[in-house]
Amino acid sequence: MLEGAELYFNVDHGYLEGLVRGCKAGLLTERDYVNLVQCETLEDLKIHLQTTDYGNFLANQTNPLTVSKIDTEMRKKLCSEFEYFRNHSLEPLSTFFTYMTCSYMIDNVILLMNGALQKKSVKEILVKCHPLGRFTEMEAVNIAETPSDLFNAVLIETPLAPFFQDCMSENILDELNIELLRNKLYKSYLEAFYKFCKNHGDVTAEIMCPILEFEADRRAFIITLNSFGTELSKEERETLFPTCGKLHPEGLRLLAQAEDFEQMKRVAEHYGVYKPLFEAVGDGSGGKTLEDVFYEHEVQMNVLAFNRQFHYGVFYAYTKLKEQEMRNIVWIAECISQRHRTKINNYIPIL
Amino acid sequence: MGSLFRSETMCLAQLFLQSGTAYECLSALGEKGLVQFRDLNQNVSSFQRKFVGEVKRCEELERILAYLVQEITRADIPLPEGDASPPAPPLKQVLEMQEQLQKLEVELREVTKNKEKLRKNLLELIEYTHMLRVTRTFVKRNVEFEPTYEEFPALENDSLLDYSSMQRLGAKLGFVSGLISQGKVEAFEKMLWRVCKGYTILTYAELDEPLEDPETGEVIKWYVFLISFWGEQIGYKVKKICDCYHCHIYPYPNTAEERREIQEGLNTRIQDLYTVLHKTEDYLRQVLCKAAESVYSRVIQVKKMKAIYHMLNMCSFDVTNKCLIAEVWCPEADLHALRCALEEGSRESGATIPSFMNIIPTKETPPTLIRTNKFTEGFQNIVDAYGVGSYREVNPALFTIVTFPFLFAVMFGDFGHGFVMFLFALLLVLNENHPRLSQSQEIMRMFFNGRYILLLMGLFSVYTGLIYNDCFSKSVNLFGSGWNVSAMYGAAHAPSERKKMVLWNDSVVRHNRVLQLDPSIPGVFRGPYPLGIDPIWNLATNRLTFLNSFKMKMSVILGIIHMTFGVILGIFNHLHFRKKFNIYLVSIPELLFMLCIFGHLIFMIVYKWLLYSAETSRVAPSILIEFINMFLFPTSETNGLYPGQEHVQRLLLVVTALSVPVLFLGKPLFLLWLHNGRSCFGVSRSGYTLVRKDSEEEVSLLGSQDIEEGNHQMEDGCREVTCEEFNFGEILMTQVIHSIEYCLGCISNTASYLRLWALSLAHAHSEKLAPSEEDDGEEETDS
Repeated sequence: MLEGAELYFNVDHGYLEGLVRGCKAGLLTERDYVNLVQCETLEDLKIHLQTTDYGNFLANQTNPLTVSKIDTEMRKKLCSEFEYFRNHSLEPLSTFFTYMTCSYMIDNVILLMNGALQKKSVKEILVKCHPLGRFTEMEAVNIAETPSDLFNAVLIETPLAPFFQDCMSENILDELNIELLRNKLYKSYLEAFYKFCKNHGDVTAEIMCPILEFEADRRAFIITLNSFGTELSKEERETLFPTCGKLHPEGLRLLAQAEDFEQMKRVAEHYGVYKPLFEAVGDGSGGKTLEDVFYEHEVQMNVLAFNRQFHYGVFYAYTKLKEQEMRNIVWIAECISQRHRTKINNYIPIL
Repeated sequence: MGSLFRSETMCLAQLFLQSGTAYECLSALGEKGLVQFRDLNQNVSSFQRKFVGEVKRCEELERILAYLVQEITRADIPLPEGDASPPAPPLKQVLEMQEQLQKLEVELREVTKNKEKLRKNLLELIEYTHMLRVTRTFVKRNVEFEPTYEEFPALENDSLLDYSSMQRLGAKLGFVSGLISQGKVEAFEKMLWRVCKGYTILTYAELDEPLEDPETGEVIKWYVFLISFWGEQIGYKVKKICDCYHCHIYPYPNTAEERREIQEGLNTRIQDLYTVLHKTEDYLRQVLCKAAESVYSRVIQVKKMKAIYHMLNMCSFDVTNKCLIAEVWCPEADLHALRCALEEGSRESGATIPSFMNIIPTKETPPTLIRTNKFTEGFQNIVDAYGVGSYREVNPALFTIVTFPFLFAVMFGDFGHGFVMFLFALLLVLNENHPRLSQSQEIMRMFFNGRYILLLMGLFSVYTGLIYNDCFSKSVNLFGSGWNVSAMYGAAHAPSERKKMVLWNDSVVRHNRVLQLDPSIPGVFRGPYPLGIDPIWNLATNRLTFLNSFKMKMSVILGIIHMTFGVILGIFNHLHFRKKFNIYLVSIPELLFMLCIFGHLIFMIVYKWLLYSAETSRVAPSILIEFINMFLFPTSETNGLYPGQEHVQRLLLVVTALSVPVLFLGKPLFLLWLHNGRSCFGVSRSGYTLVRKDSEEEVSLLGSQDIEEGNHQMEDGCREVTCEEFNFGEILMTQVIHSIEYCLGCISNTASYLRLWALSLAHAHSEKLAPSEEDDGEEETDS
């Protein structure tokens, strides 16, 4: 696309941008969270959610209410909104939407393969799959025994196909290999998405690139953290890191050598963005976990995305914010239903 | 009463409802629609309120009712709609009703579930028969197209195979057959090929008739397929793929014998299922019909009940918990009815202590209530679309009743069209009780709601049409034109006078395409037409020039009068709210500003009309030039309309220029002076908010009551009157914005009123061009 999206962005995408901004205004506010935290039962939660933009999305649920019912209904709502956006979108926004769904598709594929490994029935796992990442071929995933099988038989016609270039192998799919597959897929997915946004240029690139860079770096940190004490070799670890982040290339090389959390923290200290994040992490007892800190940073970036106009980032940001909100509600609902109120305030407020 | 001139006087009343009878009392109040409740529990979140349980129960009932309605409409049973709206159910009946509804729901769910199950079963069986029918032809065809089987070495010797001989080749040859929906066939085939690498043969054919999907109930096209495969591993994969594409798989009969048996069995089962299904459906229909009778009134009852509990949630409990306290706004005129309703409610519930009310003084601004009837409603709606006035402000709707149709008529002046419109509106008005009208479609309903507006617009159009002398864009000569053509010929005049005049003779008439009547010749113009515009203008070529000048000036005059009237209405407001300084500091400068510029313009227009006659019209100055010169101070001397015009205009300009700073700064500075000087001058009653005569008394009363009721009053935060902080900057800002808006508005609105002329022109013009475009013109002027 040419420079100067301001001139003709609205011709194609103005309606959807207006819509997504309206939807964003419906996100729960601080006050709502304060009220939600005070709820005694899930019924109370439901009543309070009825006064927000969720409306009576739980009205047709028969008693008793469970957390998973709330979760499913919320996901359905998000999904219907997303489908609406997607059905009304034009190129290249529709490609952007496809890229957005890819991450959920990867998760679903991996979930199904794990399920097959544990000999669970497909139907059981299908319920757990994220509705945004649903595709027809998905259910046939467990036919495949090796990644190349998977690619050739099942995924060749899905949007996931291009991400398979790096992970064609004849390895048997065991738990470790599946995890490796996930990370490799994710790596090439993020890189492709990053490239797409970069090529698109304009405000979209200015907004989306930092978000995706952060996403890539977050994955690198998390992979490193999770690989401590496993049989994953350092060279292999490095191949899993997405290379489109700020850490690339020196930071990633250092991360690959890291052996414990302290070393990881030292790597992060070289970067102005990540230093404060790691400093915010509490030690062991109490304080925030690294995950929460990352989530908070993500929320902040997504909220800031709404300050600019004429770009696709708002759609990404909205979906992510909504997901965070759903995580918050589920967290609060879980705390309520398990009568575990001490940690109920550990949700991540959306500014 | 003047209730349309100002909104109703309201008072804040406190209702003490005995907790046993609160429900009945509110029901009685609700039926009458007398009061507006204030939320006394604003700080309490919605799920912590007192009657949450009851609201939840209502929601549960609503859910059941919605389910019932859904089932009833699905069964195509007409929902009877009662006209009367039943009152909220008495508390005793609620439980009974809930029980009934729950029982009904359980029964209904059971029956529907059974029905669905039977139906699904039936559909599957039907699918199976179709599959059997179609696959039989597959096998035959397979035999005909030999080459597909040649690849298998075992088959080579025995090439002409029928199905049973294939059986002999070993158990490894397997079949999977079933149905797949049309859209998925292609992807299914591709995946099958990719996964099984050609070790399968897929044959498929389209079913002629679309079938219902047993799972979703959608009617779609299906394909019947038959997959033949070798080997168990492949079979396992094939089944997986079938699952993935949601195929309906049915066992494939191995022999022709078996096939026939299955077919027969299926046929009898389908017959059986049909009869059972019919019986179930009949029963279901009965149940639904019974439910349909009461469902409409139930829905309304539950809605009312829910509304009552919502209101009760807004009440606060008194200390002893025996009494609910509600605060309501009620028009003073309705206080008696309110008392009666409370009594009635208490009596109905048989309470020992009646509920009662008392009026509490307040300094808060009450809500605006303007009572309307069917005539004024439409006009009030137009006004409300721009904004609802605050309490006791002058309500412009009263004047809109005249001005709105009149301004419309100025644009739509044609008494033929106006009369048609009037008749249409009259038809609506006379038949307003017809049920079809009030429930009609969107556009028709718009007309129906505005029927009185249309009626008046039609009437006024008839009037302006008469003035414009326009009937279906033709003039009507009722009284005989005031112009006389024959007087233009020389014969009519004495010879002595002829020399001075330019008269017509044969050669003039023959050689000129356009002839001009000269009113200065005696006898040509015999005085104005008695009503409206002389019909002779309809024939004139300079008709448009004449009408334009007339309509343009008229629009400006009407516009200025209209705007001045608006400012004068503001004075009524200031008088009523006892803010005299606003009159001197806002209204009068505003009037001066407008009248000194545009008032003078009007004066010039009228003066010119009166002063210049046909003889002197050639020396008449242009008003436009005069008006422009008023601001430009031209150096060259012009001959004005009247002697000393220059000085008068200078004076007017000075007044205008002086009124602007007054308008900008007067009110803020005065308020500042009041604020600072309050202590020394003892001006204690200059409150900016509405202050009543006995306000001080009341305030002290309010205070003492607060002390009496102690902690209770402290709790509700909404009672505290937010006393206005004096903020000079803010007042100045508001006033400056207001003034700028006013000054610019004066100019731009005057220009806007020219639209009256423009649209009137457009209306007349479009009529002339194409009568069929009439409707468009109407729409345009309407909007």
